[in-house]
Amino acid sequence: MNVIETNGLGRRYRRTWALHDCTLAIPGGHIVALVGPNGAGKTTLLTMAVGLTRPTRGTVTVLGGEPAGSPDALDRIAFVAQDAPLYRNLPVTDMLHVARNLNRRWDQRYAQDRLDRLGIPPRQKVGELSGGQKAQLALTIALSRRPSLLVLDEPLAALDPVARDDFLTSVVDAAQGEGISVVLSSHVLAELERVATYLVVLTHGEIRVAGTVRELIGSHGAGLEEIALRYLRAGVPSSSRTEGAAS
Amino acid sequence: MISSAPTAAAATAPRRPVPWSKLAWVTQRQRRGAIIGTSVLLGVFAVYLLIMAIVQNNAYAAVTACHPAAALKCQQLAQAFSSHYWGGGGRVISSGGAQTVSSLLFAVPVLLGAFVGAPLLAREFESGTFRFAWTQGAGRTRWAVSTLVLPAVLLTAVTGAFTGLFYWYFRPFLADGQVSEMLPLAFALLGVAFAAWTLFAFAVAAFTGTLFRRTLPAMAVTLIVYIVLAIGTATAIRPHYETPVTAHGWNSTAGGGWVISSWVKAPDGHVLSQGDLNTLSQHLPASVQNSPSQDAFTNWLTQHGYTMWQSVQPDSRFWQFQLIEGGWLLVVSAVLIAGTVWLVRRRGA
Repeated sequence: MNVIETNGLGRRYRRTWALHDCTLAIPGGHIVALVGPNGAGKTTLLTMAVGLTRPTRGTVTVLGGEPAGSPDALDRIAFVAQDAPLYRNLPVTDMLHVARNLNRRWDQRYAQDRLDRLGIPPRQKVGELSGGQKAQLALTIALSRRPSLLVLDEPLAALDPVARDDFLTSVVDAAQGEGISVVLSSHVLAELERVATYLVVLTHGEIRVAGTVRELIGSHGAGLEEIALRYLRAGVPSSSRTEGAAS
Repeated sequence: MISSAPTAAAATAPRRPVPWSKLAWVTQRQRRGAIIGTSVLLGVFAVYLLIMAIVQNNAYAAVTACHPAAALKCQQLAQAFSSHYWGGGGRVISSGGAQTVSSLLFAVPVLLGAFVGAPLLAREFESGTFRFAWTQGAGRTRWAVSTLVLPAVLLTAVTGAFTGLFYWYFRPFLADGQVSEMLPLAFALLGVAFAAWTLFAFAVAAFTGTLFRRTLPAMAVTLIVYIVLAIGTATAIRPHYETPVTAHGWNSTAGGGWVISSWVKAPDGHVLSQGDLNTLSQHLPASVQNSPSQDAFTNWLTQHGYTMWQSVQPDSRFWQFQLIEGGWLLVVSAVLIAGTVWLVRRRGA
């Protein structure tokens, strides 16, 4: 089953294509690193997969053929947007309760146990949590929904190194322990290198490479970082290369 | 590989959407600030109206108990009542008087509507939390309907109940015939109008908040739209809900009603313009011009074959007009709220 499948997917904002002619089939059971520089179209791809944004062109389906944003897809995909937006004015307990009441599937015991283990004070307001705690709360809410697919957009960008490591460990534990497929985006591959089993490189709104880490290393005979760098460099389209040279 | 268990579970369990009661809990929790704010604003007014209603109704009981009504003593009592409670009259607790209180209450629907309605969706955009809310299992349409409809219903109910209290407070002035309930000053605060205008302001604010994705511009636009439409309705639309009654004489308001216009006809039947009237009044005999009585001019006109006319919306049409106005405001509000849901469905991230 492919967790995300796109066909000729494109999204235009005014005159520029944020994502262009993207055809992709990400199989389930992986921790997928979606890597590309800022503005490459990572967020656009992810928001279309979770049904927040409509494609300008092409199609995107999730979890083996469900249309993105359909009720079944919403039920089974947990999405944490960049900066983990949550209601800052609510205490942690109430934030959990809001999420619980917005979902059909919810594991309250799991949510509480996980917050206890992390030592996040339940009466604290969300806006008063540290960056790491807030990211962990968002992850807890996402996992308590018992999703089949977890989508995290730039989850590490705002975290310090310790919080990053803790966060990634949590994600890997969840993926392995609960059989959840995970897609994480980042503009820094080094962050995801140790956890990723599948790599998608995106530059200038186009897919440069997609494949399992094992196959990529096997066929390129190089480290993951080097492979990604090679594609990031090579991925500059000729048109923008000349523009770049001119400026 | 991913286990097949979730797929099987999803296939066997019938898909029931997240129940409205759960969504309602989310809405009330997130609107706690608006609920407190609304309660404080209406509560302050309500306490004031309650105290003044008791004081005023007692004072008015003394006026109605005075017999015979034509006696000088009773006339003075009635005059004192209206100067104290309608005009203000300098007493501390009623220094505003009902006139001032009514004009303050005029601002309440738009303040409440903008304050409650504008941030509903605009705050979600400003803080990015729509990305959270719209990707939960309930789906964005249900979420939007709950977010909009619950506050709309509560706001309408609370302002409707508030009108009941205002009636009690305002009763002496209506009974007195001092104020026609058809006058714009009273009409918007009585019947269903107060609640309907609040709902309308709320719907405009929610819609513009979703359109602009910003709270403050939505509030500003709501204020402008509301003021223009409220004044426009009172001056240009409401007088035409039904053809006004044309009545002979200038005292036909004795039966109660809202005078839309008045004019004078010359003995030959043509209608005098304002210029004609000014010219006429300058050529009156000195005895009339210098008379302290305001009736001197009209008496003179009558004696010389002029006739006076008015077009009036009588008090008997009050509920009919209330239902017309409440009806179209309800329809416009419903369209705006549906439009807001449509914007939410349509909008991307």
